Amino acid sequence: MKTRTTLKQRQRAKTRKKVFLLLLPIMLFAILFIYYPFIRTIINSFSLVNAKGIIKGFAGFDNYAYTYGRKDFLPALRHTLTIAAINVPITLFITISLALLANKKRKLSPVYETLFTLPMSVSMSAACMIFKSMFSPSVGFINYFFGLKLGWYESQETALAAVLILTIWMGIGFDFLLMLSALRAIPDQIIEATRVDGISPARRIFKVQIPLISPTIFYVLCTNLVLAMMTSAPMIIIMGVSSAASATNTLMSMMYQSGFSSSDYGLAAVLSISAFTLTLGFTILSFVFERRKVHYQ
Amino acid sequence: MMKRKTRNLIQDSVVSTVAIALGLIIIFPLIYCLCGAFKTPHEFLTPKLLPGSFTYVGNFKEALEKGNLLRYTVNSFIIALAGTSIRLVFSILAAFAFAYYDFKFKNLCFFLILGTMMIPADVLLATNYLTVSRLHLLNSYLGVMVVSFVSASQMFMLRQRFKSVPKDMREAAQIDGYGDISYMINVLIPICKPVITTLFVHSFIALWNAYLWPLIVTASSPNMRTIMVGITKLNSWEDENYQLVLAGVCISLIPSLILFVIMRRNMKKGGMDGALVG
Repeated sequence: MKTRTTLKQRQRAKTRKKVFLLLLPIMLFAILFIYYPFIRTIINSFSLVNAKGIIKGFAGFDNYAYTYGRKDFLPALRHTLTIAAINVPITLFITISLALLANKKRKLSPVYETLFTLPMSVSMSAACMIFKSMFSPSVGFINYFFGLKLGWYESQETALAAVLILTIWMGIGFDFLLMLSALRAIPDQIIEATRVDGISPARRIFKVQIPLISPTIFYVLCTNLVLAMMTSAPMIIIMGVSSAASATNTLMSMMYQSGFSSSDYGLAAVLSISAFTLTLGFTILSFVFERRKVHYQ
Repeated sequence: MMKRKTRNLIQDSVVSTVAIALGLIIIFPLIYCLCGAFKTPHEFLTPKLLPGSFTYVGNFKEALEKGNLLRYTVNSFIIALAGTSIRLVFSILAAFAFAYYDFKFKNLCFFLILGTMMIPADVLLATNYLTVSRLHLLNSYLGVMVVSFVSASQMFMLRQRFKSVPKDMREAAQIDGYGDISYMINVLIPICKPVITTLFVHSFIALWNAYLWPLIVTASSPNMRTIMVGITKLNSWEDENYQLVLAGVCISLIPSLILFVIMRRNMKKGGMDGALVG
């Protein structure tokens, strides 16, 4: 009896050791490069941090007061919210329309499905450079094609519009794929039933198909919201943050500027935390919304 | 009956044409990029779409040599390949533990790893930069990839897949004298090859395409830049070498486009699980 328990114990100890070794790498890096910096950023936002990133004392809400009082904070916040508010609905509209169009399997399906999803493989910086060139006031194709004479990067509105077109384009491929697979997962009987009942296509789309894929729509909405709130690369690549064009800053590009150009880590921490809190808030809001509007089968 | 069939046929071809036209509009930036890359600097000044001919490769040559893109491509390859491999190994190990063992704090550990998905990487940039610089990893390959070793979504996908492998398989392997590690290497990984391939491809593209973190970590050493950082340095406000930039962009897109095609084929074969995570 005694030997059996020790055997069991020994086996359990062995399992524990194995599990420990299996989980060690991922846990170590998750703590070191995700949880630690996250908590540290929160702490930094309440502390006096020097240019080397060392905490020199408690600052209370001074960093927050300083950040929110800056002249360039409100514009950055407004740009961030504008990008999110315009990007998300347009992306949803485009991807749902494309998915409805591509839903039925046809001979040429692979062709246009590939075309729709191709932007997915393009990286942010490559896309930025392509669009930067396309929108170039002097040699760009857009001005030439539409007969415009816009200096796209000169005014806030047009610069933001260029960034919006870019971010919407970036999101099309992946979101289209999600919508398409959700639409195709709707059982055939349901669609067949609407046909037998003689329901018009428009009614079928709005009353049957869209409600049935609403979980996916909701997922796309949440992920796009987070991505849009975190937009920073276009500002850095296209506008060049350190230049006067920082009139188009978002929270995250302002964070980049303060953290890496001027080593103001307190300011950077406050901006990070603010963007994160905003994102979290919107995500929670959309979850509340989800309860009322999203239908699960 | 016949009538309905022809009507369907017409409808399908109309929809297909519309869809392809829309598709061409969507990929227009890519077409534009390809055309622009073959233009001579002189041709670029007239904003027509098509270049005189597709035989002028001076831009590519200049981008690779003067823009140092060759070096950056090698850097990117090393980082994407090593980073992806390490990430996959970490994920496989953890997924194995969660799929096959019961232990104290299992749920806690599981949610700690999944919780990493809630925190956007951009928020952590500044603090991670300080950590990496304290570890003296700035301007090194390890420094560029170190923040991407954890992928909760990959770990989760693998765990789901491992759990769907019948328990008998493991018992049979145990009777054959396979230990845990040899079971993992010789049985489990071959069985789950489709998912693992998809995850590998996804990870590779993600790491290849990364921009902000490599930019920050390699800021003080131009030789260590990745290609995605490199292509943004090919022009400036004073010197708009857009034809050079577009050639660089074309070069940077080659690996991701190839992998994209492979991935799409893989998805059609039914490896849809795991196709939609980073």
